[in-house]
Amino acid sequence: MSLVIVRIYHDLLGTYGDQGNAEVLIHRAKARGVDVELVEVTPGMAIPRQGNLYLLGGGEDGPQTASLDLMKEDGGLTAAVQSGATVFAVCAGFQVIGTTLPGHGGKIIDGLGLVDAKTIVNAAPRSVGELVVQPTNKSLPILTGFENHQGLTDIGDGVTPLGQVLSGVGNGFNKTEGVWQGNVIGTYMHGPGLARNPELADAILESALGTKLTSFTDPFAQALANERRSTLIR
Amino acid sequence: MSRSARLALANMAGGIASYASKKLKVGRGETIKGRVILVIDPKAISKLARDRDIVLVSGTNGKTTTTANLAKILALGTDEEVSTSAHGANMAAGIVATLASKPRNRFVVLECDELYLPTIYNLVAPKVIVLLNLSRDQLHRTGEVRKVAALWQKTFNRDDVTLIIDRDDPFLEFAVMDAGHVIRVTFGGRRHPDAATCPNCSTILDWTLGDYQCKCGLGSKLAQVRGGKGLTGPSRNAILAIEAARLMGAIVPVEYQNELTANPPDRTQVFNIAGRTIETRLAKNPESWRVGLTALAAPQIILALNARGIDGLDTSWLWDINYTELLGKEVICVGERKLDIAYRLSVQGIKVKTADSFAQAVSQFDNRSIEAVASYTAFQDLITTELGISAKRGVTR
Repeated sequence: MSLVIVRIYHDLLGTYGDQGNAEVLIHRAKARGVDVELVEVTPGMAIPRQGNLYLLGGGEDGPQTASLDLMKEDGGLTAAVQSGATVFAVCAGFQVIGTTLPGHGGKIIDGLGLVDAKTIVNAAPRSVGELVVQPTNKSLPILTGFENHQGLTDIGDGVTPLGQVLSGVGNGFNKTEGVWQGNVIGTYMHGPGLARNPELADAILESALGTKLTSFTDPFAQALANERRSTLIR
Repeated sequence: MSRSARLALANMAGGIASYASKKLKVGRGETIKGRVILVIDPKAISKLARDRDIVLVSGTNGKTTTTANLAKILALGTDEEVSTSAHGANMAAGIVATLASKPRNRFVVLECDELYLPTIYNLVAPKVIVLLNLSRDQLHRTGEVRKVAALWQKTFNRDDVTLIIDRDDPFLEFAVMDAGHVIRVTFGGRRHPDAATCPNCSTILDWTLGDYQCKCGLGSKLAQVRGGKGLTGPSRNAILAIEAARLMGAIVPVEYQNELTANPPDRTQVFNIAGRTIETRLAKNPESWRVGLTALAAPQIILALNARGIDGLDTSWLWDINYTELLGKEVICVGERKLDIAYRLSVQGIKVKTADSFAQAVSQFDNRSIEAVASYTAFQDLITTELGISAKRGVTR
């Protein structure tokens, strides 16, 4: 079994440590005997269309707009999603894959439109802190992450959120957090999110590979996930 | 009450509060003194700064060390006593306490928090401001690097001060683009890890061999001073401090200059933990962790991580650091967030364990040498809780 992971514009969308998600996915995939290739896409490079799993991270406002412009021009990510690839996008990356978002100077601009999600600027102070989420997918345990964003994201009626907020802000509408539409997953959870939620990492790998994975317990990963859950839920 | 009488009263009351604080062993007395002074005379900072020669030092990394260095060089090179910030107290209370302690000293070197720098610049009318560097810090507090740079850019648009900057840092170049007097020091150019796009216009920056250029015009500029290439952060900061001292009129002996650049003081302290002598380094953000890890020589390492306010509440940055230096060493993680770092290291293939305290970690090691790196509050916890050293000696340089 083989897997091609494409990490997009780590230089632009890597401010919040989300590149760790790729390392966690590679580590967990290799533990199941999957051959993994990581493609690092930097500005100026074409985004490959044949990848199985595409990763976008959080970034500052300026680099976010710059990365969106590049992805629109390139078209590779949109084409890959149409062919069934999986996407995991965090924070600024989540906003970019939505329908609209605030661009330079706060003006609302079009996103990539891979999911039905409209982001606006929150007039209240920035949402910063631990985020605890009851996932929509009942086979997953409670998810935890660290959010740090100024935008609020309204996902369309009937669109499945990643989960419901137990504490924190998340999307900021109807207690929803993130999105899970087809094979496209968006979230506000840093941490990195997949380092703190190994079960979510496996669900994303299964979506990208199109098959169930054998079980694998990584003692440090599980201890970290449990420590965060028990500290934040009590 | 006249202006000067109010200031005198404020200073006296501050002195009493400081004395009481020290006697009661609740602190070093500086912050409480400053707070009392400011309550009685809110204009004390500008009054105490009048007719003095003041240098401000700010930036993400190295403020405390550079401030101390600069004060030392300035005293040595001018033969005058220099007032300076103690123990990294870099907000209003600490600054007013420093200004009040020896009001007749002409020279004052003040460490200044990045977000507080515009306020203090307008209050004290400094002769020189040293801007060391800007990189990602506690993201939950300062927000984005760009926001700090933009705040500075709006501030430095007059010609009443000379700014000394590391010209290799695009955020600093952006911050001084409208400033009247700038002295640029180059260290041969180097790619900034957080500056893929232009701080001014957000276009992708064109980086070539450590220099950058943007179509908006922001780019690597000609420097008046050349430092060496490949220097560490502390050495670069030492050179910026020497330039500031020169500008203030100090004569800096060449030997002293060479020694300071070759062996800049850092935030390392040696402790006796469970019968072992352990050099422990304070690391506050990704850049200082990188510096700290590079300096490790021992085969057995303790890494201590907390995520309380000053440490940064989000530990995601752990994944931005490459831990190659630790491969082949034995690592034990301690602190409230030991699992975050232990998991990170295990994914990179580093041999790692956890322990509940420094002493417990030490007991798991053999008799080969041990070194430690600790986040801010983990360092404080080690000193005050685990080793039981009095709080007033707290975290120093």
